[in-house]
Amino acid sequence: METTDLNLFVRTSEENISDWDRSKITDALIRETLIDRDTASEISKEVENMMRKSGIQVITAPLIRELVNARLIEKGLESARKMHTRLGTPLYDVDNLILHPNKENANVPHGPEATNLTLAEGIKKEYALLSVFSQDIADAHMNGDIHLHDLGFIDRPYCSGQSLEYIKKFGLDLPHSLSMAKPAKHPEVLLAHLVKFAAALQSNFAGAIGWDAVNLFFAPYIEGMSDDAVKQLSQMLIFEFSQQAVARGGQAIFTDINIYWEVPKHFVNVPAIGPGGTFTGKTYGEYEKEAQRFAWSLFEVFKEGDGAGRPFFFPKPIVHITEKFFHTDGYMDFLNLICDVASDKGNTYFVFDRGETAKISECCRLSFKLEERDLMDAKEPWRMRYCALQNVSLNLPRLAYMAKNDDTKLLNLVTERFLLMVKAHKQKRAFMEKLLALGENGPLALLTMNRDGAPYLRFNLAAHLVGMVGLNEMVQIHTGEEMHESKKALKFGLKVLAHMNILTDKMRRQENMKIVLEQTPAESTSYRFARLDLRYFSPASGRVVKGDIASGEVYYTNSTHLNVKNAMNPIERVTTEGLFHPLIEAGSISHVWLGESQPAKEAIADFVIKTFKHTTSDQIAFSPEFTTCNKCHRTSRGIADTCSYCGSADVDGITRITGYFTKVSSWNKGKLGELKDRYRNNEYFSSAEKRKVVNE
Amino acid sequence: MGIVKIFYKDDCPMCPMAKRLRDTLQEQNVAVNDFNVGTTDGLAEATFYSVMALPTILIEDEAENSLQEWRGSVPHIDEVLNVVHGA
Repeated sequence: METTDLNLFVRTSEENISDWDRSKITDALIRETLIDRDTASEISKEVENMMRKSGIQVITAPLIRELVNARLIEKGLESARKMHTRLGTPLYDVDNLILHPNKENANVPHGPEATNLTLAEGIKKEYALLSVFSQDIADAHMNGDIHLHDLGFIDRPYCSGQSLEYIKKFGLDLPHSLSMAKPAKHPEVLLAHLVKFAAALQSNFAGAIGWDAVNLFFAPYIEGMSDDAVKQLSQMLIFEFSQQAVARGGQAIFTDINIYWEVPKHFVNVPAIGPGGTFTGKTYGEYEKEAQRFAWSLFEVFKEGDGAGRPFFFPKPIVHITEKFFHTDGYMDFLNLICDVASDKGNTYFVFDRGETAKISECCRLSFKLEERDLMDAKEPWRMRYCALQNVSLNLPRLAYMAKNDDTKLLNLVTERFLLMVKAHKQKRAFMEKLLALGENGPLALLTMNRDGAPYLRFNLAAHLVGMVGLNEMVQIHTGEEMHESKKALKFGLKVLAHMNILTDKMRRQENMKIVLEQTPAESTSYRFARLDLRYFSPASGRVVKGDIASGEVYYTNSTHLNVKNAMNPIERVTTEGLFHPLIEAGSISHVWLGESQPAKEAIADFVIKTFKHTTSDQIAFSPEFTTCNKCHRTSRGIADTCSYCGSADVDGITRITGYFTKVSSWNKGKLGELKDRYRNNEYFSSAEKRKVVNE
Repeated sequence: MGIVKIFYKDDCPMCPMAKRLRDTLQEQNVAVNDFNVGTTDGLAEATFYSVMALPTILIEDEAENSLQEWRGSVPHIDEVLNVVHGA
């Protein structure tokens, strides 16, 4: 080993100061890249000479690495330079992160844990773009052709659907945990297991954790409990999930709870698991009344809201409406209750499972139709564990700028980008396989645990999501009209989606991967795409992006939605947007923005029934707006600058951002622009009682 | 006079009947548009009309108002002709 007489100290990343040692440069180059020892040694000498000439006495390890990288570039060793790259964050950025909130995800609060999350995400994003994905994919993401969602969580799957039955049957026995819990004997313990397991899952998935048929699977535990006790249990469940802002990065667990009034056909004859993880001797069909009692009390709690009368942000209650719903005793009373909650607080999501279709919702937009194999699994519901590995979205308006009104060119561009997205999915899949292959000693130990003859994460069933942003603007650029403006424009939008649907089918068979279309929530993507297109495709983009260019509050319309600003009858909106839903297998939604109006529950119920019976819409949600006062802790209807009670300006607006409620102050600029544009359906629901106060 | 729209797929059991109906109608100079839902244009049109069962046969007037429809079944040609000529 060569030694030097350079009097230089190095501040290392191991928090110590060591003497200058040129051989460390050589060793690192040989260890991390494919260059030969002579070249590595030559570079180390050049860097040392530079140090000597500069007269510097203390240097940091990152700076040495950058100087080495500069030499590698000069020598044309670009691939070695990439392998030798250091991932990190500039001091200025860290300072900003620690001081100011992150607005990319409104579900991330501001605090030390959130800062940790953001910093870690930053490094993992860089890692993903340099090391997991090939350069063409990384470039397509960076320049906004496509968007690879949740890159900061590259080392885990995207989102998931879970079964409470797993915890009921196997208890809480997680790899490397400090203690093992046997199956719960009491409802409160089951609830504790559910929340703990959800927190553990949050550390292993990027996004939402959905729980299927929660009220039904809890039913054997609440048999014999008084109504008061069931209500208390409901309160505990909702508060536990809504107050879990102490988990990953201070982030609440993005939780969906799927609720059925009727017992879904596929669970009717399934043996029920009760306290202690044993079969009760009854089937779930026999627990209908208990399941209904729990569903009812959950919605009573949603109706009351939190301690300040605000809607609970999480868990999100997703009510499945099937044909059987309308033939189940008490359905109208229950429908009125959940519609009352929808109108008053906005929590209820109405998912429509028409015909023989059964679905499980996993994400804010994502629901999966259960296929034959899944229905077989339903006989042993703890097996019903699903996930999507990754979500990639396509910037549709950009393709229209490039196609210059040529239909064939446009569809060809869609195909090209689609293939690129499939390639990205294959690369993520390969990376996940590598991590999961490390088993219970690997980073995803929890997902590899095997308690029922199969790994917890059923990799062979994992889905790959292909999303889309800005279909409306794509159609507008290409045809000159937005989709709500003419039948021709609407039909062209359907044509593009039909093309994507057919491509999905082809690629699924060709690649033997479960590729599915999804309506991207695009909380930040619609903003990002719009900004990038304003940079690269002006002036054309300036004519179609929505929002306010002067203030930078710009966005593209989400997925296949119609322009949110257009004043149209909500049933017409839901009907028209619903036309796209059968083409999008992984779930879709239409939003009805209520603003400060509070329709009568009967009006909402009528709307829901009409939507089920006369449209092809998969899912709807009603979104009221609130102002909550941080001074007097009271909440009023509508978004205002000051508290209507005490006049304080220390208030927060609350409404639905994409697939969840949150405080408006945490929204990114694009979403703020959309909020200003949203057409509130005050007139359609004009017969509604207008109550200004929700917590009196 | 009404316009007939027929939606079919290559591999659905009753679709050959629908195609024969199309051929017969065309021989009688009835305006027929047929859509294979396995193609982009066919699937887009089927989605617009919320076609969930195949074959589906729709009859519209010239302003594209619906006059009659059969979803998942094939009517007798006389039923179709009555609607077409009654429009």
